[in-house]
Amino acid sequence: MAERCAVVGVGQTKHDARRIDVSQVGLVREAAERALENAELGWQDIDAVVIGKAPDLFEGVMMPELFLADALGGAGKPMLRVHTAGSVGGSTAVVAASLVQAGVHQRVLTVAYEKQSESNAMWALSIKIPFSQTIVAGAGGYFAPLIRGYMRRSGAPEDTGIRVAVKDRLNALKNPYAHLKFPDVDFDQVANSPMLWDPIRFLETCPSSDGACALVLAAEDAVGASPGKPAWVHATSMRSEPTMFSGRDQVNPQAGKDAAADLYKKAGITNPREEIDCAEIYVPFSWFEPMWMENLGFAPEGEGWKMTYEGATALDGDLPVNMSGGVLSSNPIGASGMLRFAEAALQVRGEAGEHQVDGARRALGHAYGGGSQYFSMWIVGEARP
Amino acid sequence: MSEPQPLSAGHVLEYTYKRSVGPVLGRFFTSLRDGKIEGVKTRAGRVLVPPMEHDPETGEATSDDWVEVGPGGTVTTWAWVAEPRDQHPLDRPFAFALVRLDGADTAMLHAVDAGSESAMRTGMRVRARFADAPTGGIKDLACFTPEDAE
Repeated sequence: MAERCAVVGVGQTKHDARRIDVSQVGLVREAAERALENAELGWQDIDAVVIGKAPDLFEGVMMPELFLADALGGAGKPMLRVHTAGSVGGSTAVVAASLVQAGVHQRVLTVAYEKQSESNAMWALSIKIPFSQTIVAGAGGYFAPLIRGYMRRSGAPEDTGIRVAVKDRLNALKNPYAHLKFPDVDFDQVANSPMLWDPIRFLETCPSSDGACALVLAAEDAVGASPGKPAWVHATSMRSEPTMFSGRDQVNPQAGKDAAADLYKKAGITNPREEIDCAEIYVPFSWFEPMWMENLGFAPEGEGWKMTYEGATALDGDLPVNMSGGVLSSNPIGASGMLRFAEAALQVRGEAGEHQVDGARRALGHAYGGGSQYFSMWIVGEARP
Repeated sequence: MSEPQPLSAGHVLEYTYKRSVGPVLGRFFTSLRDGKIEGVKTRAGRVLVPPMEHDPETGEATSDDWVEVGPGGTVTTWAWVAEPRDQHPLDRPFAFALVRLDGADTAMLHAVDAGSESAMRTGMRVRARFADAPTGGIKDLACFTPEDAE
């Protein structure tokens, strides 16, 4: 029987296009200090640090876990680095939770970050390695054909993505940490924004952000030292699959379906739509909301778009999705997954402020990365499991 | 049938990254431009040079208490560079050394222009030499020179 584990501290930076006011050290410390403050703990209370970020080429710092070890109070403590592309923020939280659940540590600080302004992710993702296929166009160019595939298979109305974008951008207005805020956003503004990678429009796309997120995870015996309401970890799951193999379904990847099935089984959930109160999922391009609704089992295959269309995923819907404004509104890549996990924790702790879902007792945090090939997710809840 | 030849191709990977130094190193570099070397105190009272945003031993944020250090200092360890390369700070043989500036509790990596390896020893006194045309970076501190040579 695994030890129980709970989130007792949540912290994040203000996300912005260029946080030139801080160094990389300052950025991660801003999130970590807020998480410690939220948990009412000091650096000396932490037993181990788990850090995650996307490829090293994104900032040009090789092995940033060494560079940042003492900045995160890691001197003389175990320090791990996790790397699973865009899903890394989620995977990092899962690894940190596993250290508590395994009884190895009482309190783990986990931090994820990206400082995109110091580099260019498009460049880093477009490297032409001899004799290898190159993505060239960055993430948007890679995912646009998958979205077309989804539209063809599901027959979803063409404006589904626009509706997702409007919802997420309105939610972002309620989140003080969100990077992009369009106070006047509406259907026409999104619909009339430039087409970047057909069918993905400018306002249906995530930004490049600087930002960090941190969580303090505690074992049951250590939970009481932090006065806030704990967000108990009910289940975690990770799955991955190769970028390319014969017969691979990139629109509805098996790894995501397997991770979700494993997650619900561990959490004792048989009907996720009914039993989960809200979900913060990794939607870097608007259409990934309906796609992941199906992949996560919230809707039957081919019907995820109906949830968007019927308003089920709105803040006042029956399954609010991306209450924080999501990846569409803030995308410090390495931190983006952890921000999803953090939002799930904030919701069940009742600390989500203006984007709080009334009565949220059980929430899902989800991240994916690479070519829709890495998946990490967790369910956190108000009730001790 | 001839032996298959392994494929081979050049691969140049290059990108100019940007760095934001943050408020603490920002002040350090600004002071260097003005010919001053500044350290910052940890909450425990140790003077860190170069300054850091945090105490590396505890993770605690450093204080707002700044102190001017040097320009004299002591070599705590060193390595002789007999054949400098293009990217090295000096174009003649020199020592890379850790120098603990007077008033500091930590040592800083820099170059010592000592002329010859035989002039170097651990514990020797050195003095900062500033660049003629400062730019607001670490190179504004051109190098250290042996004190007894001046």
